[in-house]
Amino acid sequence: MNRRRKIILALAAPALAIVFSLGVTALVLVVTGNSPVEVIDKMIESAARPRVQTLIVNSAITYYFAAVAVAVGFKMNLFNIGVDGQYRLAAMLAAAVGGAVVLPAVLHVLLIVVVAVLVGAAWAGIAGLLKVYRGVSEVISTIMLNAIATFLVAYLLQPGVLAETIPGSNNIQTKPIPPSGQVPGLSLIPGSPATVQVYGMIFVAVLVGVAYWFLLSRTRFGFDLRATGASETAAVASGVSVKRMVLASMLISGAVAGLVGMPQLLGASYTYSLDFPAGLGFTGIAIALLGRNHPVGIAFGALLFGFLDNASTALEISGVSPYIVKITQGVIVLSVVIAYEVVRRIAVAAAQRDVGRQLAAGAGNGGAAEVTA
Amino acid sequence: MRRGTVHAIVGENGAGKSTLMNILYGMYRPDEGTISIDGEPVVLHSPADAIERGIGMVHQHFMLADNFTVLENVVLGSEPRKGPALDFAGARAKIREISRRYGLDVDPDDLLEALGVGDRQRVEILKVLYRGARTLILDEPTAVLVPQEVDELFDALRELKGEGLSIIFISHKLDEVLSVADDITVIRRGTTVATADPRSVTARELAELMVGSELPSPQTTGSTVTDVVELAVEGLSVVDAEGRALLSDIGFEIHRGEVLGIAGVEGNGQAELTEALMGIRPVATGTIHLGTVDITGWSTRRRREAGIGFVPEDRIRQGLLLESPLWENRMLGHQTQPPNSRGPLIDRHAARVDTERIVAEYDVRTPSVDVLASALSGGNQQKLVVGREMSGNPTLLIASHPTRGVDVGAQAAIWDLIRAARREGLAVLLISADLDELIGLSDTISVILRGRFVATVDPHDVTPEQLGSAMTGAQDAA
Repeated sequence: MNRRRKIILALAAPALAIVFSLGVTALVLVVTGNSPVEVIDKMIESAARPRVQTLIVNSAITYYFAAVAVAVGFKMNLFNIGVDGQYRLAAMLAAAVGGAVVLPAVLHVLLIVVVAVLVGAAWAGIAGLLKVYRGVSEVISTIMLNAIATFLVAYLLQPGVLAETIPGSNNIQTKPIPPSGQVPGLSLIPGSPATVQVYGMIFVAVLVGVAYWFLLSRTRFGFDLRATGASETAAVASGVSVKRMVLASMLISGAVAGLVGMPQLLGASYTYSLDFPAGLGFTGIAIALLGRNHPVGIAFGALLFGFLDNASTALEISGVSPYIVKITQGVIVLSVVIAYEVVRRIAVAAAQRDVGRQLAAGAGNGGAAEVTA
Repeated sequence: MRRGTVHAIVGENGAGKSTLMNILYGMYRPDEGTISIDGEPVVLHSPADAIERGIGMVHQHFMLADNFTVLENVVLGSEPRKGPALDFAGARAKIREISRRYGLDVDPDDLLEALGVGDRQRVEILKVLYRGARTLILDEPTAVLVPQEVDELFDALRELKGEGLSIIFISHKLDEVLSVADDITVIRRGTTVATADPRSVTARELAELMVGSELPSPQTTGSTVTDVVELAVEGLSVVDAEGRALLSDIGFEIHRGEVLGIAGVEGNGQAELTEALMGIRPVATGTIHLGTVDITGWSTRRRREAGIGFVPEDRIRQGLLLESPLWENRMLGHQTQPPNSRGPLIDRHAARVDTERIVAEYDVRTPSVDVLASALSGGNQQKLVVGREMSGNPTLLIASHPTRGVDVGAQAAIWDLIRAARREGLAVLLISADLDELIGLSDTISVILRGRFVATVDPHDVTPEQLGSAMTGAQDAA
């Protein structure tokens, strides 16, 4: 009974937020002279195609890494806004290393991934160190580190530094990673063309999700981390070294952020070029909020955002601006924050009432003091 | 309840006192039954409703802003306006008038942070009177006061009563209830079990009505003090960020089987002392030895693992994760120790089982160990914290107000457990505002004032009044 209510309450908030934002989107569509029914119809129709489904899953894999990276910080009230810079720098350097070495297949991939993870962790670690030793808000420092990463990548991605010009084009890229360093795709979705496959990195995403869940709910470290997030003063009194936790969670967050660029790098482009996808870190923040920092919730959030992004391309053909889905996504994030807070308050009040009622019921039965679990 | 009287509500933790008060103050809606004011049934939807009907609540924890003046605190939330500007002059006059009429002796222009606890409480009372309250609800108003301040409060209450105001007074301290109340209602497990006349009932009878069993006493039986020093503190000083001394040259020893009581008005360095001993607050000078080991440089976790239990002064801030289930709260502070963890992994099952043990042994009233800590009443939260800190055979217990907000029955249980552990060699540093508890449990009492130990007294020949004078520094003047 109690458990069922808990689950219903947990699902109510995102459901409400999504319904509300669809309503707002519909309103915007009507105002701009489009038919909401038609647009949603188009999007669903497009999502029914195996090719688009594969693209949705692929986007979701990338988003999943970004959202878990953000969620690690959120769990202890750290706002790692810098996932964006962390993954771009990580992907760029990992691409350069991957293109420069010759190694057997598995080792080659491993090396690239390890470099990405280390670079991501190191970049986030700067913000961690600044917070621990100088009290600099991680929000400010990670935002600035994003900007620094942008310039650093721009500097490194020059012909003669770590990159080369593609003959016959203006694009600049790192030396392509040879096949030994590539991760083959999977034909998971039947009917999808052979050229459009699900990223092999999906396994790593699942692994990260499980590891994240295990770390938080089953280990002492995870308990310390959650305790710090729930009440820093109580955590300190319980013997948690908050400084160490800040640094550790920033490093973990950055390490996961390092993986964000990997599906694209190892599964599609095999090189870091000027048009490597940017801004994924911010999408990660939104999805972590939507998924409530829960490994399964984040997966659903990632799929939803993947759907909105990929189905929106179908709109262009019918003359509707695909940016309409950006409005939907934005409203989802805003309303989800409000909905969670409302639901949280309802849940706390309900729990208090429940305890009162159950204790009163125990007294009514003339029962002795024992109220066992 | 009658107009112009003080009506006391007494009952154990979780008996429903707070729930009742919250209903009266419009925070909860009753499922059944009616509330009538002046013979007229009313439905209170919100605190605003209650205020409009002349009901005002003075919370146990003050809700005041330190950096505001009394005047600003009082008007906060119902600011007087004159056009677009605030009418401070009018408010000041009104506050002076109320203060004079009810003998509250509060200056509207004092800065709140300069005021003592008793004064702050009078500001809270003034705040609700300012909003036109005719019925005051006081939730455990004496919990934070020393005896002298309690007397002042009671004088003020009599004054208010004389002016025709009605007061609902909630307290665990039965002798106080008897001295100030005109009527007493005893509630137990959500129902009224008795009404009593304070002129004819004794504290013992009242307590028995509350718990249905005998009144506990904090008296210890014989000394169990051994020769073995468990905690030795020498020349301990703590300074704040500006370098001002919070603790100066504190030195004491606690032997195994000894309870050292610290008496003092809150805010005289007790919190800093416990935090320094726990390694939460850095020490400026001095050493701390646990047994023969110098632990001055140890981390909080290492100290806890070495067997120091800690009942913090502020359980909400330092003792609990309010939005976590009870079994996770049981792990807090002991997350590196059995039964809560094995190596780097936590043992959820064992932690749950052990939480159920604490719930049973300490009579924590809860339907299950999976409810959030915030769902429990304050006293039950405290029982959980004390039960947790007494688990795992600590060698030293640092306890601040271990029975604060706890009912008579559980208070007895906690005292018994401290006594039993003391017999087996537990060393206890006891900080308490309940002077009877301090005198009853301690083998030695040190008085702390402005960060210094100013006196050491023998609990066997000191009265609460004498202790109260020493705590406020009155002895120096005499």
